[in-house]
Amino acid sequence: MAGSTDDNVLVRVENLVKYFPVKAGGFIRHTVGQVHAVDDVSLVVERGKTLGLVGETGSGKSTLARCVAGLIPPTSGKVIFDGKDITKLSRGAMRPLRREVQMIFQDPYSSLNPRRRVGAIIGDPFTIHKTATGAERKRKVQELMERVGLNPEHYNRFPAEFSGGQRQRIGVARALALRPKLIICDEPVSALDVSIQAQVLNLLADLQQEYGLSYLFIAHDLEVVRHVSDKVAVMYLGRIGEAAPADALYERPRHPYTVALLSAAPAADPDAAAARQRVILVGDVPSPIDPPAGCRFHPRCPKAEDICGRVEPPLVPDDEAGQPANDGQSAADASQPGAAVPGGSLHVTACHFPVVPGERLVSAGGAGAMKGEPS
Amino acid sequence: MTLLEVKDLHVSFPTADGVVRAVRGVSFDVEPGRTLGIVGESGSGKTVLTQTLLGLTQGAEVEGSAVFEGSDLLALTEDQMRHVRGAQISVIFQDPLTSLHPLYRIGWQIAEMIRAHDQSVSKKEAHTRAIELLRMVGIPRPETRVDDYPHQFSGGMRQRAMIAMALALEPRLIIADEPTTALDATVQAQILDLLLRLQQDLGTALIMITHDLGVVADIADDVMVMYAGRAAEKAPKREIFYAPHHPYTKGLLESIPSSSAAGARLRPIPGSPPSLINLPSGCKFHPRCGYVFDQCLTEEPVLHPVAESGGHTSACWLPSEAAGLTARAEELREQAVRGQRGQEAARVAAAASAELGVAAGDEGSAA
Repeated sequence: MAGSTDDNVLVRVENLVKYFPVKAGGFIRHTVGQVHAVDDVSLVVERGKTLGLVGETGSGKSTLARCVAGLIPPTSGKVIFDGKDITKLSRGAMRPLRREVQMIFQDPYSSLNPRRRVGAIIGDPFTIHKTATGAERKRKVQELMERVGLNPEHYNRFPAEFSGGQRQRIGVARALALRPKLIICDEPVSALDVSIQAQVLNLLADLQQEYGLSYLFIAHDLEVVRHVSDKVAVMYLGRIGEAAPADALYERPRHPYTVALLSAAPAADPDAAAARQRVILVGDVPSPIDPPAGCRFHPRCPKAEDICGRVEPPLVPDDEAGQPANDGQSAADASQPGAAVPGGSLHVTACHFPVVPGERLVSAGGAGAMKGEPS
Repeated sequence: MTLLEVKDLHVSFPTADGVVRAVRGVSFDVEPGRTLGIVGESGSGKTVLTQTLLGLTQGAEVEGSAVFEGSDLLALTEDQMRHVRGAQISVIFQDPLTSLHPLYRIGWQIAEMIRAHDQSVSKKEAHTRAIELLRMVGIPRPETRVDDYPHQFSGGMRQRAMIAMALALEPRLIIADEPTTALDATVQAQILDLLLRLQQDLGTALIMITHDLGVVADIADDVMVMYAGRAAEKAPKREIFYAPHHPYTKGLLESIPSSSAAGARLRPIPGSPPSLINLPSGCKFHPRCGYVFDQCLTEEPVLHPVAESGGHTSACWLPSEAAGLTARAEELREQAVRGQRGQEAARVAAAASAELGVAAGDEGSAA
């Protein structure tokens, strides 16, 4: 796999699977099922770029992020970081790699220890990895504070003395301390007010440019994801349903779920909101313990046919005309490693009947019962 | 006829650190069958405002009036309020899991609500009514789901159950406090769709409190933007979005990443909202405002009409012609700011020359 194209790729996730056991019974606990949190996901994160990951609660996006960060071991599959498979590493061998991957969490209130001073929180990475001590550490921490827009004189304050936006800046400074290559942002701005959210997004963009960072950016806000991402992947029930360069995905969504998700996102524009054809999905996301057979979206899909309940559609690239590529072409694409993997340069969709531009989806789902009938 | 008329409402909380002035003189009307969207960031006072109307702010000092169908809500005794709350005005909160009792069945909780207000309804009738309500809000198989506990419902279904409960006594007004904030986008779309449909069918008035301008764009008729306990701007929905006058409203709209500006830099409002204990002088937005001039530092502006219709009011010292995002409006704003800054500059120059003494004066006279 180590071709020339791989040089652009920082993280390569191959067929990653993460199941969590469901235990039952009293004294002797036994496994009665598996939560299929992430089920056979492949993707790439390119150097210096941002891969956006969207999906609703329970789609497995945070589990995927934790596997990539090496925080939890995957059930099977590989995470290749900078050419090295990190899934089989021992704790000791993993340690130097932890410098290169950092995380920023959603909740700036619970991700900072309230009893420790900000200087100590941001300085921890230096202590843990023994890269700076004493006065040098303090100087480095204050530089970081300055860089993320905090007053370096506030070195000795506690997290409670900062506002939500400032706390998220503390989280960013901590993640930045060891000059990582990849920062995993798990809903970094969801808990912030709109005006503060924009400040943090601008900061993340500046830092990316300055340090050549790669981001794996997880959020449920589609506008935010579009704003920051170069490539976007849409997850549903542990699988990637569609992935493409950001503009292609937002302007020509192919998977009915993506179409529904985009139509559901509230736009701050009353005329656009009134003109929009909303695809209201019926029902809730099914249980990941027993995901539907075939395409996982078929029970809620307005376009579902018999085949969708039986055969799982593979992720295939679409050609320019918006039609799934024929076999010859996808074989040609496969020769460029990375292109047809989510996060690569191609628009890939896992759907038997992808939406064509201009098509209107009926606002209903339920195993295709309402198909073709305007409701 | 106006359903709810709130006049000059003030709410403050005495705390050990000082008096928190959460709401500072807010007035608004709600008409029957219409939706008022109240937008604001954390700490703008939007939740305190509506909770005060229902007598839910304990330990607060409240001034002003809130006349609902002829009686002042703020003057009601706890007993009288109990008959209004739930029956005539009901509330939907953000987090449906903490608003439902975990140990009672959903149907029981709806039935209890009905029987608490009307003793003549039998348990059986109330149970049947609970099933009907659950069906109305789109819960599948309501006959069996009515006996479920809250944990057996998904987030969206719980919020539907809350809406069913809010509708149970056919209130005239529903206050929805961030009802979709905890929900996913597709579920949020379902809930907003449901609220709109029910409102059309039942003619209920709705106050929608949210920080999300997208939700307001979708569901509101009129919008009130709040900042630091006051209304910054109040107008019909389209005017707020397409011809905002107040720099705060404008800043909020520009902070949203939208498809038109994908990849470009966002234009956030600098700084953060002020402490409600220690408010800045003059206009409370002036430390963060790009159009600030002398008057803003000393006098707090009040809502005044900025459009000919009179329905669009803004609490900002900028000239009223500056409404809208057009080039002309920008020019007017610039002029206003420059005009005032010019005066300031002239004053500073005069003071400076007076101190420097004769030399400057001589130069002046020579020129």
